[in-house]
Amino acid sequence: MASIAGASISITSFSSSLKLTTQTSSIGISSLRSVSLPISGRSFPSLRLRKGASRFRVSCAAKPETLDKVCEIVRNQLALAPDAVVNGESKFVALGADSLDTVEIVMGLEEEFGISVEEETAQSIVSVQDAADLIEKLLEKK
Amino acid sequence: MKMRCCFQRSFCSASSSLVPVQLPSPMETHFWYVLPDQVKSVSLLNQYMGLLSPIEKENVLSMPGHQLQKRALLARALVRTTIARYQINGHVDPRSLKFKKNIHGKPEVVWQSEDGWCQPHLHFNISHSSSMIACGVTSNSRIGIDVEEKQRKIKNNILAFARRYFSLHEIEYLSSISDSEVQHQEFIKLWTLKEAYVKALGKGFSAAPFKTFTIHVKTDYKRSFVLAEDLLFEASEIMVESLNDPKSLTSSWQFALLELVGSHYAAICMEKDKSIKVGMKVPVRLTAWKTIPFVEDECVSGTDAVIPIGGLIKL
Repeated sequence: MASIAGASISITSFSSSLKLTTQTSSIGISSLRSVSLPISGRSFPSLRLRKGASRFRVSCAAKPETLDKVCEIVRNQLALAPDAVVNGESKFVALGADSLDTVEIVMGLEEEFGISVEEETAQSIVSVQDAADLIEKLLEKK
Repeated sequence: MKMRCCFQRSFCSASSSLVPVQLPSPMETHFWYVLPDQVKSVSLLNQYMGLLSPIEKENVLSMPGHQLQKRALLARALVRTTIARYQINGHVDPRSLKFKKNIHGKPEVVWQSEDGWCQPHLHFNISHSSSMIACGVTSNSRIGIDVEEKQRKIKNNILAFARRYFSLHEIEYLSSISDSEVQHQEFIKLWTLKEAYVKALGKGFSAAPFKTFTIHVKTDYKRSFVLAEDLLFEASEIMVESLNDPKSLTSSWQFALLELVGSHYAAICMEKDKSIKVGMKVPVRLTAWKTIPFVEDECVSGTDAVIPIGGLIKL
């Protein structure tokens, strides 16, 4: 395990061939300067794996942090049990959300990310992934 | 999940124990509701499951968790059994009903056209909260309904929410209320009325974003009196004004707002009968039933379970 003082990142062990484990820590190295680590010196996208996932997901449209934030807001709004599964594929309706919930969630996302979602667009958000992707799109435009 | 392994059992036709009902007359709404907490029997839930189409069954079983599955199941069972009661052209098996969505996504019944059958003009709309599922039915008149728990928690600040989604007049109205509990109640009432209107239009939310229309509630008078055998409630006058298109026929919509079983607000929006002249005040005739399909139906309009709190309503 390598920990880098000053950049407050701790990287749990991984092999040099970038074999992914079921660790749930995310790795972002954009703020690193010169550090010697047991990997070849190439950058890699930040990935997040969930325990028990049978395959890893690389979300090309939305950052994992964005997705996580959306999941958190959805959990809060719908007062879901701590063990309820919420991920990108989760559809709001399938989580028990009605139209008022969806509108509240969109409003929560607007406040969290400092964006503005048009009502027509808001109504087309069906899943957590839709929301995260839309947020990324709107953030890019800013 | 118990439901899944039990649904293989075959049940004899259950539709014989559905009490048939006459079609609603013009300007009449039939309002049926079921309280999920009162439906506990696993065999009854299996019976309901047996009414669903394969796709409906799939949708129900794809919901995560027992409560959500039960809610989805009861919603489909309520719609099918309710429509089957109207026994148009003879006995209708709830299982045989077919549904489609119009081009905007609003669910409709597909009436089988056999020789001699004319298209019945039955309209319906459903809504549910976590503790109630409701279905409104009319003849020849578009309808939208919405039910919400009175105590439903709003995560966002109510005025911030209103400023974001409601019209100017509605924001002003809510801002003028100092008591936060009353403000909360009025917010929920306004939401259900707006939601019911959009659902009645049946054109999807993009056709009538919430900010583009105002619900006006005139409470100059509040009275109820008995007229012959009917109870007439003039709680208030509720009208909708479209901000984009003031000339549009928003006066062709009629509203009713109810308090149900002390715990819910329910809004009904229906199209006025074409024969009614513009400007004429005609009450919405309402008949409401609390039901557990195949088990019991209780007519509750005229009891404390259904209290008119907005609009012109005749019970």
